[in-house]
Amino acid sequence: MEAQPRRMRLSPEDHARLRRKARLRREFSGLMFIGPMFVFFVVFLVLPVFGTIWWSTRFGSLYSGTRFVGLRNFTRLPDLVGAPQAIKNTLVFAGASVPLILAGALAIALLLARLERGGAVYRFLVYFPVLVPGVVAGLIWLFLTNSDFGLFNDVLALFGFKPVTWLGVDTALGVLIALDVWRNVGYWAMFFVAAIIGLPQELYQAAKLDGASAVSRFRFLTLPLLRRIIFFAVVVSTIWAFQVFDTAIVLTRGGPAGATTTVIYRVWQYVFGSNNKVGFAAAISLVMIVAILALTLLQMRLLRSRRGGD
Amino acid sequence: MTAIAESHVADRGVLRRLAVDHARVRRRKRRLAELSRHLVLGLVTFILVAPFYYVVLASLKDSNAIFSYPPKLIPWPPYWENYRHVLTETNFLRWMFNTMFVATTVTVLKVFLDSMAGYALAKIDFTGKRAVFMLMLILLMVPGGALIVPLWSLVFSLGLINTYFALMLPPLANPLGAILMRQFILGLPNDLEHAARLDGLNDFQIYWRIILPLIKPGLVVLAVIIFTDQFISFIWPLIATTSDDLIVLTVGVASLRAHGGVDYGLWSASAVMSLVPIAILFFILQRQFLARSLAGALKQ
Amino acid sequence: MTDRLQDTSGDSGHAIELVEVTKHYGTMEALKGVDLAIGYGEFIALLGPSGCGKSTLLKLIAGLEDLSDGEIYVGGKLANYLKPSARNVAMVFQNYALYPHMTVRENIGFPLKMGGVPRQEVDSRVEDAAGLLQLSAQLDRFPDELSGGQRQRVALGRAIVREPLAFLMDEPLSNLDALLRVEMRTELLRLHKRVGRTTIYVTHDQIEAMTMADRIVLMHHGEIQQVGSPSEIYVTPANTFVARFVGSPPMNLIEGRIESAASGAVFVGPLQLPADKAAACGLGEGPATLGIRPEHLEIVDASHPEAVPAKVDLVERVGADSNVFLIVGGQSALIASVDAATPIHEGDEIHLHLRPEHVQFFDAKGDRVDHGGASR
Repeated sequence: MEAQPRRMRLSPEDHARLRRKARLRREFSGLMFIGPMFVFFVVFLVLPVFGTIWWSTRFGSLYSGTRFVGLRNFTRLPDLVGAPQAIKNTLVFAGASVPLILAGALAIALLLARLERGGAVYRFLVYFPVLVPGVVAGLIWLFLTNSDFGLFNDVLALFGFKPVTWLGVDTALGVLIALDVWRNVGYWAMFFVAAIIGLPQELYQAAKLDGASAVSRFRFLTLPLLRRIIFFAVVVSTIWAFQVFDTAIVLTRGGPAGATTTVIYRVWQYVFGSNNKVGFAAAISLVMIVAILALTLLQMRLLRSRRGGD
Repeated sequence: MTAIAESHVADRGVLRRLAVDHARVRRRKRRLAELSRHLVLGLVTFILVAPFYYVVLASLKDSNAIFSYPPKLIPWPPYWENYRHVLTETNFLRWMFNTMFVATTVTVLKVFLDSMAGYALAKIDFTGKRAVFMLMLILLMVPGGALIVPLWSLVFSLGLINTYFALMLPPLANPLGAILMRQFILGLPNDLEHAARLDGLNDFQIYWRIILPLIKPGLVVLAVIIFTDQFISFIWPLIATTSDDLIVLTVGVASLRAHGGVDYGLWSASAVMSLVPIAILFFILQRQFLARSLAGALKQ
Repeated sequence: MTDRLQDTSGDSGHAIELVEVTKHYGTMEALKGVDLAIGYGEFIALLGPSGCGKSTLLKLIAGLEDLSDGEIYVGGKLANYLKPSARNVAMVFQNYALYPHMTVRENIGFPLKMGGVPRQEVDSRVEDAAGLLQLSAQLDRFPDELSGGQRQRVALGRAIVREPLAFLMDEPLSNLDALLRVEMRTELLRLHKRVGRTTIYVTHDQIEAMTMADRIVLMHHGEIQQVGSPSEIYVTPANTFVARFVGSPPMNLIEGRIESAASGAVFVGPLQLPADKAAACGLGEGPATLGIRPEHLEIVDASHPEAVPAKVDLVERVGADSNVFLIVGGQSALIASVDAATPIHEGDEIHLHLRPEHVQFFDAKGDRVDHGGASR
């Protein structure tokens, strides 16, 4: 057995002091590593978020000063020319493009994941439109939709149909949506492919042994397993859809008659295209930020609570 | 051979033939399924890629050829005037330079900034770590487009409007990189760091000599994401820079549409030329980037 | 001021001293006031089940975590606030923790290089260590090209080359397969005899501890249960936990009571036994536990004066011995370890004799009542 117990040689105060010193050293180290990035993060992201709130309560322009008007920007927003339309357009856009993109991406992913050979070529080609800058994509689609020589009308003519004015008032938003689908389906397709590859194969083998058809395997196995990823994709692609701007500016300049004007487009117009609408721009931006934050928090809450439940 | 043995042999032969037939049917079914997959994918890919070919075509035709119907599928001789036009009568090269310069600088800076931040978030215990991380997660989704008003005002009051700084500094705020790096670094075993500490490394040396080399694939993913983001960026460069020598590629190309009248040849040629660098980059990295990194990141 | 603190010498030349070492994580107490003194050149095993605090203790000694309270002295100097690399200890990890992007040579030489040792000396010391561990042929390979045993040796090399005051080993053999483990055990012991440095070896495997250690520190729930040589721990366990933890099959523990009888104190339970010697050492009336190791149960004739009747439940043949599972007094289960040649079968009714010099008593709290006479 051990001899008599030893006694500590340093007083508790000395220990407390030394312990504090060591702790401070560690804190300093943490600060040094996260500091630089965090500084940029606060200055160029966090501050502007609060800045949006501040600007939304003011009336005037960026250059010549503003004055405080409280919440009047928000109450006058529905009456403002173009604002409700921009919001409506954006919502329609998101509501249409997101399901189309994700459904298409899922379909492509299912095919790609099961492919035995040659997958790399398809992956490269399908993903390529994702890399195209929005303005270039808009330019490309200008060519496709041109009434005189555009590819679309050429194809229609091939089948004997009459040419369509693709960028007219009624169809422009639809074209914008199609553009977005064309651009983004590859991104989510790759995402889903990675997810599908990660699914446990034994489940499918068991299902096949049980006699499940391909369709029911999809309905009862694939879909539920991918539920969380699909939900994540819905939220993220919706948030991206809200931000559509560069394609609209190149394809249609927001027209005709505001048919493809989206929220961000309006914001840009208010700030740089007029003399006294900075406050409104900030107000609309704030509405959008709040909507996105709400979606994000909702997603985080739902994903966390469902852990292990799948 | 006895009668029983003989019948056994006969049975085995029948069974074997049945098995072979079964296998043949299954193989045919599989090949059919594979073929149909190829067909559908081929169609989809064709639809996705056709517009590019169409634009390349248009860029090689003069105005008459563009408008003619039926359109020639292979323009011969190719009309290079459009490309010459872009190079000589627009600032295309300058735009391209600006984009590449800004994108590369931001990428290099951010890779270090984000990996250091990721290291702190993953392995160092400092007060407020959780709060910082949550803040980054929440603001991750806030789009740049919604912040242009205060951001512009801020950059303006810093006196940085219309400088390269205006283009390079705001992107450094994006928390995606730090969050991504945190995930990668969390995957490294703790004992590795313990061993390094016992071997005498201080915090920075552990980051530089141990952590960084071991997350190289993650760094590549991060770099590609940042570079691509910068390449495509439009709204912010549009309002942040006004002078001709600072215009980036996306803004410049858009300006052709906005100001340059209607010149389809010019537009198509500039579109094609804009895609060249990103196509090259992507082609080089496509093996590593696509499925492997996405699958790995998703596992977390 | 710091100098004075660091110069505080121990009361003797202990290699490592722990004084009231305490560690808690939030509300969870991992270590509760551990006191220990380890001499130079000793091979100490920290033994215990998972969660007993042995790995935590090792990390505290290494400096990889901070103490909540208490002091640690390494080589006589207060080490609480020294960086791990300043404590002059080297550690071998369960998962080896080799740097995957460096060769074996670079891995082993790394601590020296970081310590500013000149290049030539680094090279020669690395070569020496590699020779000692039979790794000379692997020096220019990478960890992922090596087998588990080789990786373990590289980890050892990295520790040896530093010539530290003490080696800290955290279950280094757990990841090896059984055969390799036995091989490496002997190699480690041989190495220790050659290099002769203080070693603290954490393990949950009592066989490893018993065969390798000079002294064993048995831990449970963050407290030291007993410190002693392997034979001390085996023959005179300090409490029922130690008694059951060490020894395979484990010691039989029978619960009962001490009662006074005309002949003196008697243990009453599924079987009865005189308990005079224990009573003489202070074991009073009340609940008590009787302990006896399987190899000290003899099978005897019914005619034996101290025979205890028992029924055979199961016979496990394990090579040279057989483990016989018995039922005594209708309920208690005992294990006896007998020669495999003994003719014994399930269902037999036999008689046991508990060799009195090996019978031990534990009081109601589970602590051993020392009756001094326990022999080997």
